[in-house]
Amino acid sequence: MSGHHISTDKTLLGVAAALLVLTILTVGIYYIHIPTPWDIVTAMGIAVVKAGLVALFFMNLYWDERFNSMIFISGLAFLGLLIALTLMDTLFRVETIPGF
Amino acid sequence: MADHSSSTTHSQFFQHHFVDADQQFEAAKMGMWIFLATEILMFGGLFAAYIVFRLWYPDLFTQASAQLDTFWGAVNTVVLIGSSLTVAMAIKSAQLNQKKNIAINLGITLALAAVFMVIKYFEWTHKFHLGIYPGEFYAFEGIAHEKANVFYSLYYLMTGLHGLHVLIGMGLMSWLLWRSLKGHFDSEYYTPIEMTGLYWHLVDIIWIFLFPLFYLIE
Repeated sequence: MSGHHISTDKTLLGVAAALLVLTILTVGIYYIHIPTPWDIVTAMGIAVVKAGLVALFFMNLYWDERFNSMIFISGLAFLGLLIALTLMDTLFRVETIPGF
Repeated sequence: MADHSSSTTHSQFFQHHFVDADQQFEAAKMGMWIFLATEILMFGGLFAAYIVFRLWYPDLFTQASAQLDTFWGAVNTVVLIGSSLTVAMAIKSAQLNQKKNIAINLGITLALAAVFMVIKYFEWTHKFHLGIYPGEFYAFEGIAHEKANVFYSLYYLMTGLHGLHVLIGMGLMSWLLWRSLKGHFDSEYYTPIEMTGLYWHLVDIIWIFLFPLFYLIE
């Protein structure tokens, strides 16, 4: 529908600035040593926000056909399935770590 | 969409089996998104391996991560964000018919990609110098963990596959730069820049996750 959306400099520079600030934030938080598991939760949370900004405004999903977002999200959903099924095995073994 | 098709079918790159240039553009973009979904799943297998090994050996990941330089990892993150911005700028330049700016922005993107690879090169060679190799070739004594090579095998596989994508991206950017200098791209036709841009942004997104997963572990 609106595959030819033209981004303004303001939007593009704003997104880049936000990504820069979030990068500084995630490195800064690393140095203040939050106790586990909140360190990894925070780091991944920031990474998801950054990836979301890139996908929505640099890859134009915000203005694009919803079908392209659907393809993207199905890729992520199948990745979630792969990880979930793998963990259902590896987390609940009697002998947790194989002796290779 | 279709009402301005007569004005958008003049490009020499318009293929006759499409209804109009918009349909050609949308078809290319959907195909690109399907390809990107397969890319997510290819990298995803390695991310799944990372999760399993990190849950098995949490101490190893804390210790081994200390050998990675957070500063250069952060610099490379900023470099890739900058290159994503310039790719988006190149697309905008094409949409606004600013032909010279397309080449300038693609040139900056290519230069930033090269900076990323140079930093990566120094990181890897420094580790090789210490004896940190993947798998059975691992010969570094500095980490008190018997599975230290597992962390670095994942590191080399994931940053290596990512680096390969950066190199492919550099090849594509060079091709686009050459074509933009020949005046192939304008507001009516810039499909290859848009598609390469989508690919490049996904490579950026993957690094956004690799950076905290390898460099920011305490």
